[in-house]
Amino acid sequence: MALIDTRREYDHLFGIYVPIAIGVFALILVVMLAAVVIFRRRPAERAARWSEHNALEGSYAALLACVAAFLLYLTFTAEHRVDTVANRQRAAVVVNVIASKWEWTFTYPAYGFSVRSGTVGRQPLVVPAGEAVRFNLTSVDVIHAFWIPALRYKHDAIPGSTQVITLSFTKGVFAGQCAEFCGLRHPDMVFTAHAVSPASFGAWARSRGRGPTP
Amino acid sequence: MGAQPGEGADPVSVATAPPARISRMTGWLGTLTSTDHKRMGLTLGGLSLLYFLLGGLFALLMRTQLAQSNMHFVSDNSYNELFTMHGSTMIYLFVTPMAIALAVYLVPLQIGATGISAPRLALAGLWTWICGGLIMQQGWFASGGAGRAGWSSYAPLSNGTNTPGVGQDLWVIGVILAAAGMAAMAGCVVATIARRRAPGMALLRMPVFTWTALVTVLMVVASFPILVLVMVLLYIDRHGGHIFTGFTGAIDYQDLFWFFGHPVVYVMFFPYLGAAAEAIAVCSHKRWFGYIAFVASMMAFAAMSTAVWSHHMYTTGGVTNQYFAFTSTLLLVPAGVEYFDAIGTLIGGALVLRTSMLFALTFFLQFLVGGLSGVFVASPVLDYQVYGTYMIVAHFHYTLFAGSIFGFFAGVYHWFPKFTGALLRERLGKLQLVLMVIGTNLTFFPMFFLGNDGMPRRVSRYPTHPGWGTLNELETIGAGIIALGVLVFLVNVWTSLRRRVPAGDDPWLGHTLEWATSSPPPPLNFDRPLPPISSYSPLLDLRHEEMDRGGEPAEVSAAR
Repeated sequence: MALIDTRREYDHLFGIYVPIAIGVFALILVVMLAAVVIFRRRPAERAARWSEHNALEGSYAALLACVAAFLLYLTFTAEHRVDTVANRQRAAVVVNVIASKWEWTFTYPAYGFSVRSGTVGRQPLVVPAGEAVRFNLTSVDVIHAFWIPALRYKHDAIPGSTQVITLSFTKGVFAGQCAEFCGLRHPDMVFTAHAVSPASFGAWARSRGRGPTP
Repeated sequence: MGAQPGEGADPVSVATAPPARISRMTGWLGTLTSTDHKRMGLTLGGLSLLYFLLGGLFALLMRTQLAQSNMHFVSDNSYNELFTMHGSTMIYLFVTPMAIALAVYLVPLQIGATGISAPRLALAGLWTWICGGLIMQQGWFASGGAGRAGWSSYAPLSNGTNTPGVGQDLWVIGVILAAAGMAAMAGCVVATIARRRAPGMALLRMPVFTWTALVTVLMVVASFPILVLVMVLLYIDRHGGHIFTGFTGAIDYQDLFWFFGHPVVYVMFFPYLGAAAEAIAVCSHKRWFGYIAFVASMMAFAAMSTAVWSHHMYTTGGVTNQYFAFTSTLLLVPAGVEYFDAIGTLIGGALVLRTSMLFALTFFLQFLVGGLSGVFVASPVLDYQVYGTYMIVAHFHYTLFAGSIFGFFAGVYHWFPKFTGALLRERLGKLQLVLMVIGTNLTFFPMFFLGNDGMPRRVSRYPTHPGWGTLNELETIGAGIIALGVLVFLVNVWTSLRRRVPAGDDPWLGHTLEWATSSPPPPLNFDRPLPPISSYSPLLDLRHEEMDRGGEPAEVSAAR
């Protein structure tokens, strides 16, 4: 089964929603402007007296409902993949993400070590590229949100719960940040994610921790 | 700006009007104690307008801080106070109360009533709201600063540990009083519509604006008590109550808050839609198109507004995203009907492009950007990216500012002659429109790109990504141009009141009953018998009858 890619799911939906929106806007703009140009500066007594066409309006509403159904079908399909199917994938690595004011702690339970994004060292989150990575999100104080803009995905870290999300990365360096206002230093609650080859990831993790538990 | 005492001092008793006692006191004391719905409406609207200027000032300070990536114009703490108080001032103290002010002033006139029901309750509501606003703003003088947990003040960020201090307490109390006051006034409007319609004014003959006002006040009555409740609970929580604790506490707060918070979005939209609709119909010399469908679409909108709240919570993992995506996306059906009706009104009309009409048309076009981006963010997968970013800021400013505020100005230019008896200057009005259209789109359109590109909202500093600096600079310039437009409006009001061009009773050939009385209306609203009411535009019916008898319609339009 192909890896669920949040970026691809987003771009796919974006590529359908946005052109439709632009088309609708252009259509209404043109019709309104045309109506204004055609019907301006006529004497008041020439104004039409009709004011209703319920059959036409009903058909139009039915057409709109079909558009809504089409968009919902696309959204539900993508949402099922991102939220449900992704979490069923076998994860190559699990990272526990602990959000706190105003830093991120990434723990690799399989390797027995943590890195912290905060003022001490500004250590990056390191993940293997091309594999499913599972994140268990929680917070120790207020609500934060774990967001990597390039992956087109974010999820809240809420105190008192652990929420599971699964992401996949291509090789590269990605900026991450808190996306839920969390108080005074919220703008500084940033991190960097390094997605490296699985081999490099393994080497890095073993050098940091006690090595993978069998 | 108040009603002129003495004018129409001998009102003809209208219809079933119960004997009403209206304070004739003049001056400040009269304004503050009058139970005349027109004076209450003007007081509420006038104070709301002052809060618009205050909230706008906060926005200008924020935009100055954001002009470049790492400005040190205000501190982080001040910035957090500013965005909290900008949102709170605009929502609790301007757009919502202004919507209610329009309803309080206009609904009794439009349905041929001599006053508002339960006027002393309405006056008490007005005072409660005034106290709420003043208390909220007093936070600026508290040590530690004003409220600074956002206009939605999510728990547990807003609890006593994470946001200590009197300023946040004053914010909570202010919201409680403002919401309770507005709920009381809205209840009076509901009662007025239920009990005081003139003979012949069946529900389905009520003007379009009155219908938008009715669905608005119904939503207020249904949802504002929830806000009062959640704020009381938050106050207890802040003082050792431990109410919103753990995961369920955090989710419960958001569920309760947005159960108010989404209906209020439409409260801040419908009356302005109604104002724009009246302006378009009158300036087209044509009845509003598709009345029944429009009324049905608004009722559907209002009902669904109570079933979409958790689309603000897609990323929490605490709600059923599919359900809220379903209800939220379906909103495009009633919204689409409203556009159909606006276009249907224009087609076949005899259009006069005066300022009110231009603001109304711009309202529809700019709101469309907000509406279409609303369909976009109703999709959880798309919202996972743009939630909490400038994309959302762009979306709701296109609905609230580019939409509602333009609808508000359409209403102001349309009804100012009725409120004051004087016409506003058309040239200044058009200058204001041009400035505001340029400023609005320059400020808010780049935000779509910034948000999609990863710029979070509610940050005083941002990384120096390529392009971000330029876009933010453009936005700051745009905010300045908006401020210039608002300044032109104030000059227009000042000039028009100082050197009055008398408006007469009905300068635009209006369709509805407020144009069948003097400007401003006398204390009991109507100084002559009401015309027969057999549709939602009784004065247009009269004109049509006159035309059919071969007479020319009285063209009294004083403005171009």
